[in-house]
Amino acid sequence: MSFTMEASGLGKQYGHRWALRDCTLAIPAGRVVGLVGPNGAGKTTLLHLAVGLLAPTSGSISVLGANPGDGPAQLGRVGFVAQDTPVYARLSVSQHLRMGAWLNPSWDQVIAETRIEQLGLNLRQRAGTLSGGQRAQLALTLAIAKRPACLILDEPVASLDPLARREFLRSLMEIVAAQGISVVLSSHLIADLERVCDYLVVLVASRVQVAGEVGELLSTHHRLSGPRREASSLPANQEVIEESHTDKQSTFLVRTTDPVLDPAWTVRRVTLDDLVIAYMSLQAAPERAYRPRLRVMS
Amino acid sequence: MIRFTWLQFRMQATVALAVLFAFAVVLVLTGPHLASLYASAITSCHGGTCANAANTFLSRLTTTSPYPTVYVLGIGLVLATPAIIGIFWGAPLIARELENRTFALAWTQSITRTRWLAVKLTLTGLAAMAVTGAFSLMQAWWAEPISKAIGLGGPYPVGSVIDQGRLGEFIFATSGVAPLGYAAFGFALGTATGALIRRTVPAMAVTLAIIVAVQVAIPLWVRPHLIPPDRTVVSGPSFFALASMSVGTLAASSVPGQPEAWIVSSGAINAAGLPVSTIPAACLPSSLAKAPDPGRCMASRGIREAITYQPASRYWPLQWIETGIFLALALALAGLCFWRLGRRRT
Repeated sequence: MSFTMEASGLGKQYGHRWALRDCTLAIPAGRVVGLVGPNGAGKTTLLHLAVGLLAPTSGSISVLGANPGDGPAQLGRVGFVAQDTPVYARLSVSQHLRMGAWLNPSWDQVIAETRIEQLGLNLRQRAGTLSGGQRAQLALTLAIAKRPACLILDEPVASLDPLARREFLRSLMEIVAAQGISVVLSSHLIADLERVCDYLVVLVASRVQVAGEVGELLSTHHRLSGPRREASSLPANQEVIEESHTDKQSTFLVRTTDPVLDPAWTVRRVTLDDLVIAYMSLQAAPERAYRPRLRVMS
Repeated sequence: MIRFTWLQFRMQATVALAVLFAFAVVLVLTGPHLASLYASAITSCHGGTCANAANTFLSRLTTTSPYPTVYVLGIGLVLATPAIIGIFWGAPLIARELENRTFALAWTQSITRTRWLAVKLTLTGLAAMAVTGAFSLMQAWWAEPISKAIGLGGPYPVGSVIDQGRLGEFIFATSGVAPLGYAAFGFALGTATGALIRRTVPAMAVTLAIIVAVQVAIPLWVRPHLIPPDRTVVSGPSFFALASMSVGTLAASSVPGQPEAWIVSSGAINAAGLPVSTIPAACLPSSLAKAPDPGRCMASRGIREAITYQPASRYWPLQWIETGIFLALALALAGLCFWRLGRRRT
């Protein structure tokens, strides 16, 4: 299996503060990967390390099998759309395209112009006067027209209104369909990613809480509700992700590859939203994350 | 990258060209007339009378509008250009990319940031030197009659704006090759400050403060000692001629036999070689009696003038040393920028 991104013990320290610490992950190639996590989980730091804007303090990271930002060839293979999609406010749309053409040997002017035309952007308009959605689309165009093998986007839709958000994600899906490139897309909202991602990585406080194909994640997580029980009484093949109790009733979100056989439970499917939120809140009760997978039944 | 650098630099370049053009217009409108004034003042002189003719020309010039104004303006412009370039070209070069987060766009194109910085620093740095050099040459062309008149050896009109030879504190850094060194230094300083402070406006302020401090410190404390200064003691008749005696100070305004020498320090000493800070009471002119000539009076008491100075012949060695120092500083600051960006601490 080849990987878009592989990190091992990756850390980045600013002064005494670790923005990312001991992060180990592997993101498979050829997929649209959603990187989800709360604010401050280290997503931006991870992605900046992945495109070579930062160098790691500890550990290592490789993107498409090479050291990030290592020379023009590697920079050309990775397209990046940064958070809040920065562009040069004083340069026009067409000047941005010229910049792309000048700075990227693999630049495809046809792709760039076609997209700008489809979006209805005025080539002469200064980027500073574009709407947030248009600016994001311009940034995406610049990242795409250099024909990268992998595209990395850092919270590209976070600051967009719902309509612009939908337009942007639709553009992204069209690109993936047309060019078949690997995509890594971060967000603190799962709703943004649900429609475009087929692989999910949940990052909380530098740790990968869960990673997997979206379909597989949905089919291996279940919400169980029934008479009140303690989590420790569940079978060892059912990993408890989240639990809540009332006087009489218990509800668990469990992960298991096996069918849930206990007739006392009402078993329901979980939504991706439920699942991500459950994993994100693991941070609040960290001991849950280290519960041994194997447990002797009493 | 060269084309992209130009695309981002166009605006600043246009402003610089506009100022250059405006300056050129002022100089072209006033320059030829200044040259004709000089020509008519100096035409009939020969040998010893030329110094007097030149002195008359300079004295008259200080009260002839607009020449003193244009002269001071031109010198001020050449002195200020390195600071202005440091502030408006240097400081934003990296700081603005960091501030507007556009570094994430610039440094993820298929070009390493080392190359990005190398091209930006080289092109903008050369432009900085070219613009400053152009200002300096234009000023030198315009002021040529003035420098020729000073070169003819008459004492400068004391207390006027035209009281310095080309080694003078202010003039030195506006002529020769020194402006190129200052321009490169100002630009590199602005860029490095921006890279370290990471915010444009504070970087601009710090750049200005440092450049002004350097421009004050160099002529006061550094330049006099780049080459060990010469020393002379003037006594007898030459001592009387020291013009500034008439305004009550004991500092020399020129070095006998050394036209255009730059006086580093000077002061009166008595026969025992000890400094004399004030004119002895016996030599002070009184308003009632016919005033004794203070110079003659002091000379008769064995008081002499000790002068430390740089002779005019050291103009070019001092120019090259100072320019070399600033070019070396500029390269060191550029190295600092590469180091800062290479550490990838965005």
